[in-house]
Amino acid sequence: MSASIANSHFILRRLHSLLGLLPVGAFLIFHLWENSQSRFGAEHYNERVVAALQEMNYLILLEIFVIALPLLLHAGYGVVIMTQMSAEPLRYPYTRHSLYWLQRLSGLGILLFLLVHVGMTRLLGIWDPTVAADLFSHMQSLLVQPWMLTVYVVGLLLSVFHLANGLATMAIVWGVTASARAQRLFGWFCVLLGLLLAALGLHGLMGFLP
Amino acid sequence: MTTPRVIVVGGGLGGLWATLRIADAGFAVTLFSLFEVKRSHSVCAQGGINAVLDTKGQYDSIEQHIIDTIKGGEYLANQPPVKSLCEDAPGLIRTFERMGVTFSRTPEGLLDQRLFGGVKNKRTCFAGASTGQQLLYGVDQQVRAYASAGKVVKHEWWEFLSLLRDGEGVCRGIIAMDLKSLEVRAFPADAVVMASGGMGQIYAPKTTTSTNSTGAAASRCYQQGAWFANAEFFQFHPTAMIGHDKTRLMSEAARGEGGRIWVPKDPGDTRPPKTIPESDRFYFLESFFPAYGNTVARDEAARAIWHVTRRMGLGIGGGDRVYLDLTHLERGFVSTRLGAILEIYRKFAGVDPIAEPMEIFPAAHYGMGGLWVDFERSAAGGLLAGSPRNHATNLPGLYACGECDYAYHGANRLGANSLLSASYSGRVAGEAVVSYLQGLAPGRRELSQASVAAEVAQQAAINTALMRADGPESPYRLHQELGELMTAKVGVVRTNPDLESALTELDVLQARLRNASLGESSTWMNQGLAYARQLNDMIELAKVIAASALARDECRGAHYKPDCAIPLPDGKFPGDPEFEEYRARWHANNRQWLKTTIAEYAPTGPRLSDQEVDLSLFPPREPRDYR
Amino acid sequence: MPNTHSMSNIHLRIRRQDRPDSRPYWHEFAVQSHDEHNVLSLLMAVRADPVTISGERVEPVVWEHNCMEEVCGACAMLINGRPRPACSALVAELRQPIVLEPLPKFPVVRDLLVDRRRIDQGLTRVKAWIRIDGVWDTHAGAPRIGPDEWAANYLYSRCMSCGCCMAACPQFGENRDFLGPAPLAQVRLMNAHPTGRYDKSARLHAIMAEGGLSDCGNAQNCVRVCPKEIPLTTAIGELGRQTTLQALMDLFGAG
Ligand SMILES: Cc1cc2nc3c(=O)[nH]c(=O)nc-3n(C[C@H](O)[C@H](O)[C@H](O)COP(=O)(O)OP(=O)(O)OC[C@H]3O[C@@H](n4cnc5c(N)ncnc54)[C@H](O)[C@@H]3O)c2cc1C
Ligand code: HEM
Ligand code: HEM
Ligand code: SF4
Ligand code: F3S
Ligand code: FES
Repeated sequence: MSASIANSHFILRRLHSLLGLLPVGAFLIFHLWENSQSRFGAEHYNERVVAALQEMNYLILLEIFVIALPLLLHAGYGVVIMTQMSAEPLRYPYTRHSLYWLQRLSGLGILLFLLVHVGMTRLLGIWDPTVAADLFSHMQSLLVQPWMLTVYVVGLLLSVFHLANGLATMAIVWGVTASARAQRLFGWFCVLLGLLLAALGLHGLMGFLP
Repeated sequence: MTTPRVIVVGGGLGGLWATLRIADAGFAVTLFSLFEVKRSHSVCAQGGINAVLDTKGQYDSIEQHIIDTIKGGEYLANQPPVKSLCEDAPGLIRTFERMGVTFSRTPEGLLDQRLFGGVKNKRTCFAGASTGQQLLYGVDQQVRAYASAGKVVKHEWWEFLSLLRDGEGVCRGIIAMDLKSLEVRAFPADAVVMASGGMGQIYAPKTTTSTNSTGAAASRCYQQGAWFANAEFFQFHPTAMIGHDKTRLMSEAARGEGGRIWVPKDPGDTRPPKTIPESDRFYFLESFFPAYGNTVARDEAARAIWHVTRRMGLGIGGGDRVYLDLTHLERGFVSTRLGAILEIYRKFAGVDPIAEPMEIFPAAHYGMGGLWVDFERSAAGGLLAGSPRNHATNLPGLYACGECDYAYHGANRLGANSLLSASYSGRVAGEAVVSYLQGLAPGRRELSQASVAAEVAQQAAINTALMRADGPESPYRLHQELGELMTAKVGVVRTNPDLESALTELDVLQARLRNASLGESSTWMNQGLAYARQLNDMIELAKVIAASALARDECRGAHYKPDCAIPLPDGKFPGDPEFEEYRARWHANNRQWLKTTIAEYAPTGPRLSDQEVDLSLFPPREPRDYR
Repeated sequence: MPNTHSMSNIHLRIRRQDRPDSRPYWHEFAVQSHDEHNVLSLLMAVRADPVTISGERVEPVVWEHNCMEEVCGACAMLINGRPRPACSALVAELRQPIVLEPLPKFPVVRDLLVDRRRIDQGLTRVKAWIRIDGVWDTHAGAPRIGPDEWAANYLYSRCMSCGCCMAACPQFGENRDFLGPAPLAQVRLMNAHPTGRYDKSARLHAIMAEGGLSDCGNAQNCVRVCPKEIPLTTAIGELGRQTTLQALMDLFGAG
């Protein structure tokens, strides 16, 4: 039984992979759904959606163990993985190779986006309770600035791409899709999923706009 | 006493089998190869490997395999080794199968077998159309397992240069050169096995062999006193696609699976081949050899093509080409059975051979001759298992196996028999070496350091001389000339005046080589140096081929002199007086010529003698008759 | 074929390097050639008369070749930026100038010749062999293998260790642990053999360590460049499944 435990390499890599989907990917989906409620107005968003979440017991534990820590682990190990490439990005024009690159670049992009995003929402909320009290207006004030909207659109698209493509590679990593055909079909499924999530996210962003 | 060490030169099927057998017995093996052993020429073999499994309801028997091999070689092979070869073939296949070789399967999951040239039974095991590759990888993987356990040390990218011999002439190691650093070093050992493969490059570019099948290593042994036997027998493969750099083999399997050879009846016919109606086609193999048709033995097929193109002038467009046609076969069937070789044609000619007939011509393929090796006959008439005499050359302590020996194919090799002989002879040589080592007197004197140093210095001096030479000739050009000369004058069809002039021209070539410059002075990975050295040894072997061919005034197997042909009387069969007269001439000819040619090195040119063939099992009674 | 094609002048650009530690430089050659020539036959022509376009006589180009029919794997190099065997690269199908460089990711020995020992080391590491009692006849073959299973296995048995897939893999490199795709595919092959299965978990553990299967980032260049069309990414997927199960067995005691 010991071999894969004695050598943690495999387990770590699989953990990274798994974290990408559970809980980080799942959080993203939920988060985008949550924010898509912005469409129904400030009141609905602040009181029915955000408040409902904020009233949850042990919320801070959930936030730490289900969101922050997994995300940090995934991101941290993601950076470690990126140091292991020996790549020549432009030599091969094949789609999967480009996706391989985008997966890494989007990871970095998400990291930067999150610094800005979490800093200006959750962390600022701790600092300044008025922000947490009316997140809708806060977000609105951010998103009316075109450059900030751009940052959000890019951050959103990168995240969605990263999840959708990550799902496609996960299926190979875990051995769900082996044949080229299965990989191709599931790849299309992931494209579809990515488009849906992107629509959901954009929809949410627009809901904040006056 | 430290455990004896063995050196194996060559990592093709022969060398790897010998290595495995010796390492199995607990002796340390050092394996030398010009490159990673996985790249050895054995990977090129496409068609298959013979073994009687009798799984096709044809009542095939080992005895029939023995007879086919002996008759195919026109009785020139010693029969005890052939007997054991065929008897051990099924076991060898089973061992390969256990090693994981991906032999093709029947619907029942058993080994499949197919038909190959020269025989009437399905007897050839195959792995898709890359049998040699699969077999070699099988043993390569086993050797890798031994190497990872420290029992075998591989010296890849080292070239064998010469043998180390002690005062009694016993072989005690080798001198080799690191092909990268060009370091020349002595490797003492207690026995040496040569498994350096074939020599087709002597006919380059009209050969199907790899560019490293130069025969140089065998030639070096010959120049140090090892006998070279039956050099005049060189098989020309009838179906090779013509190319500038190489003529690539179209496996016999293409004929075995139903391919047909033809030419347009009118050589001036310019229509695309598919549009030429049956009535305007000449299926000459089917018409010359009704019983065997397109699967007739290689030498017959090669000469028939030569005859049709050169004598009858019926080559396509009047040139050296005929069609090999698969287009009448079912596409799916052809692709599964012949996938890999068809891919070769597609890749190198840019034409789909299932849609268009292929254009082919004979090319130098396999030298039946090679280093002379001994054998010991058992009471049952085969090889005495474990005898240290088996596969021993005339130099004590030097063994030879694989294509570089002469042992199993007589005057002509049966298709799919040489992967078998390379593997089998490697195994036997390995076992013989083990017996030899076990029989060594303890406390042999070490080699004298001074003599080793002298030999190293001599080999290094050859390098220095070649590096310094600054003449007008280029070794690469000289090699081309060698190939052209051998193809034209020591090829499919031979005449004595041609052979005599070839011998003179070979001397001239060799003299010119001394006057060649490498065009490079690098002391790192200097390929020109290795090339020029090998070329000289190839010319040395070419002389043996030409001289042996000149001496043999008859037609036998692959050696064909029209002036000496004893033609089968047309339309006459046993009982007819003409046929009986023919039979008498045939017997008389055998009495005079059914002998092994032995060449010994002398500075003035090969010294030839002959040796009786062991015909103890099937003495020649009936002439070969393919009608 | 021969004689029916026209002759033309082929422009070659070759990256050269005298020694493993010296600086690379470029030479250009013009070669008279038939259009059914392949890159190897061009190199042979250059070797016989190594004069550059500017008329300078230089040392012959060093490269590796053997079978000339794409089965030994020796001649792989970068041709117009893609790793592929030179012997099957038909000149007529290439853009000019034809640019030749050594296979990347492997240390250069000289010119176009590289040291591919890493492949062999990878094969050793993953125990890419079937363990048998000995190379004598045991009077039994291997257990039966059905034709479909055979067909799937056969695909992998054709890997000629040319290294193209490794050269193209962004996760494989001189100073990286990753074994590369070719040895991984051999694990797939060996694990499928009826007796090779007995060592399946040993091989899986070998590829579950550093530099093993999980270092593959699914870039899938490997499968695109493999001249033998070996389904490397299918092997990687199948091994993903095998290692998943192996890890579960390791963790929960069934193994
Ligand atoms: C195109 C082709 C197709 C064939 N198809 C078939 C077939 O279908 N069936 C069949 O039975 N036979 C076939 N044959 C014949 C068969 O492939 C060979 O006879 C057999 O593989 C020879 O194996 P070997 O071990 O003797 O030599 P090789 O495989 O040629 O190995 C020679 C080894 O010697 C080493 N070596 C040589 N010189 C030196 C040196 N100086 N120093 C160090 N090492 C050296 C090389 O590195 C190499 O490892 C075919 C041959 C050809 C040309
Ligand atoms: C569609 C646009 C998005 C909007 C409108 C948005 C909105 C918000 C808001 C309002 C918060 C604060 C919640 C709180 O304080 O309780 C938040 C938190 C957060 N967002 Fe977003 N977000 C968006 C996209 C993203 C994306 C793409 C990610 C990437 C993974 C992301 C990751 C996070 C994280 C990690 C937090 C902190 C969660 C916590 O601990 O509560 N968000 N987001
Ligand atoms: C929104 C947050 C994120 C989500 C939902 C997410 C999800 C995923 C998923 C599902 C995978 C696929 C895993 C696999 O192929 O096995 C993945 C891979 C990866 N992620 Fe993330 N990830 C996120 C953030 C990040 C961040 C911030 C980084 C790094 C800065 C990162 C770096 C990587 C890398 C490098 C991979 C590729 C791993 C590999 O192919 O071996 N990810 N991610
Ligand atoms: S998998 Fe393909 S590309 Fe890779 S080494 Fe094998 S044959 Fe070459
Ligand atoms: S290119 Fe490399 S990253 Fe994986 S899919 Fe192939 S091994
Ligand atoms: S020379 Fe063997 S693969 Fe090209």
